[in-house]
Amino acid sequence: MANDESPYVYDLAGAPNHQVVMPKTVPLPSLKTYLEEQAAAVAADEAKWAKAQADFEAAKAKAEADGKDAPKPPVRAVPRPDTNDMKFPAPAPATDPDLLYLQSVLGAKVEEAFQQAGELTCQVDKSAILEILTLCRDDRALGYEMLADETATHYPAAKDFAFAVVYHLTSIRRCKRLRLRILVPEGFEPESAVAVYPTANWLEREIWDMLGIRFQNHPDMTRILCPEDWEGHPLRKEYPTLGLGQRDIDFREDRSGVLMRIAMEKAGNLGINIKPPKAE
Amino acid sequence: MFKNEEMEINMGPQHPSTHGVLRLKLKLDGEVVTQCRPVIGYLHRGVEKICENKTFFQGQVWTDRMDYTSAVANNLGWAEAVEKLFGVTVPRRAQYIRTMLTEFNRLASHLIWLATHALDIGAMTVFLYTFREREAILDLFEAFCGARLTTTAFRIGGLREDLPPGFEKMVRTFLARFPDCIEEYESLLTENRIWKKRTIGIGKLSAEDAIAMGVTGPVLRAAGVAYDIRKAFPYAAYAEMDFEIPTRTEADTYARYQVRLAEMRQSTRIIQQCLDGLPEGPVMAKLPKVLRSEVNEVYHPTECPKGELGYYLVGEKGSTNPYRFHVRAPGFINLQALPMMVKGSLVADVIATIGTLDVVLGEIDR
Repeated sequence: MANDESPYVYDLAGAPNHQVVMPKTVPLPSLKTYLEEQAAAVAADEAKWAKAQADFEAAKAKAEADGKDAPKPPVRAVPRPDTNDMKFPAPAPATDPDLLYLQSVLGAKVEEAFQQAGELTCQVDKSAILEILTLCRDDRALGYEMLADETATHYPAAKDFAFAVVYHLTSIRRCKRLRLRILVPEGFEPESAVAVYPTANWLEREIWDMLGIRFQNHPDMTRILCPEDWEGHPLRKEYPTLGLGQRDIDFREDRSGVLMRIAMEKAGNLGINIKPPKAE
Repeated sequence: MFKNEEMEINMGPQHPSTHGVLRLKLKLDGEVVTQCRPVIGYLHRGVEKICENKTFFQGQVWTDRMDYTSAVANNLGWAEAVEKLFGVTVPRRAQYIRTMLTEFNRLASHLIWLATHALDIGAMTVFLYTFREREAILDLFEAFCGARLTTTAFRIGGLREDLPPGFEKMVRTFLARFPDCIEEYESLLTENRIWKKRTIGIGKLSAEDAIAMGVTGPVLRAAGVAYDIRKAFPYAAYAEMDFEIPTRTEADTYARYQVRLAEMRQSTRIIQQCLDGLPEGPVMAKLPKVLRSEVNEVYHPTECPKGELGYYLVGEKGSTNPYRFHVRAPGFINLQALPMMVKGSLVADVIATIGTLDVVLGEIDR
């Protein structure tokens, strides 16, 4: 047993299943990052080519000086033609009237607006979210009556934020969809959307349960899927997929108690809660 | 002699009319419900977390197990969400076959809803009739993909196999018979006095409330809002299909029953069109063996038999599994409106209201 006195303490470090691979990148879809990455890739390619040419010139000069045959000139690599029925939907600048309207009305509160895969994304100031949601619902030109979905993503590798909370709005009248996004650091409590969209009640409870983001002015900020006394928030990236709350139970016949002892030992290794039977 | 205090009782989680393991904390004033608080999570398996640790191909298997009465519709949502994430173009024949099977699934799901809903209210006979037709639909699924309930019917990029020989004949036999079967259910229920007494005016939810609560599917359409994602945001081959969106304005349990029956008729129309206009060609797009995503996020809504089923996926560069996967389950959102619908009604009407929402706890708890 990891801890003889209290068998109900999980030995997280000792359990082999607790090896969690933390993400190293921040896969936050963004037009700005995409363009930067593209420019960096092109620059790297150019630098590689320039270096290959310089190397060739140097080798050629050296061969001429030594009186040997000239080396082969470098060939620039051509990307292999893609024959798959697949084309990555790259992010594009905002051209949709809704995004342009939001940019013109909100000004600096819109941090980024772009389109990707036919979907509109608008990243906004996290402290103004309630005001922006109200605008999206009540403005005649927007008229997003329904909140289809609200969820969040954990980005442990990011420096100045930890979560991205996304709101998927639907306009039934205009058959349009819009994604609002806010970036939230650890411990920040965004304003609850329940006052504008009552649907958000359970969705925000789920976010609190699964990712551990609390919302201000939420009428009932309790867990919804996990029990009230559950440890941790399962959809965070540091949460293991195996091990927590897992039990190793053997139903084979065990007359001598050997299997039970093995199970107990194993349980000790895994930090699992099986109480040893009390001697009468 | 008579006590006037409020009583708090638990309905479920082991109650046959709660369609799984739903628990309701009811506050009663005599026979009248004054407060209702649903408690969910008994079936929580962490599907989202599991799918984040599986590849895009493996994830689909888990979507079967969410809403197990409409596995094919769940598969379609997943396949299309991943295709949208990668920008895959699916062959037209595959789109048609997908549409046809999804509509069969809508029939199967509505049949099981009608059976259990009528059974809850006390009409036992309907159950036996609807399961006869559901059996025929499950046979079709079995002929197509080998499985009856957890189908994993589609693949990312299309279908694994084309339709088996003789499938068309099976479908035509079914379509010739099915409209009469709907007549049969209607003859059992539509003018049934007990059925009408138990459903008319029960579990009302106005259009404004339904939109505010995010309620979708037949419940919203029975309130007079003609919102169907198959028309509003067409996917698969629905843009080419000719069908109507049945709506009612009464917004009660009886209206939802009528909407769902009308939807079944429209589904048979769509299946007929898919079969008649089935294009020739391949059923699978050309894809690399390993799908490695770029940084991208999609929210793909589909019209599941229960309402709007949305899959939210975030892709990480070079990764074979989704970075984040979230399911907007129609049942989860629709169930949220239950306290509003049952407040002030009788305990027996709570059961009718749960039935009319068509909840499946597998997708609510995920």
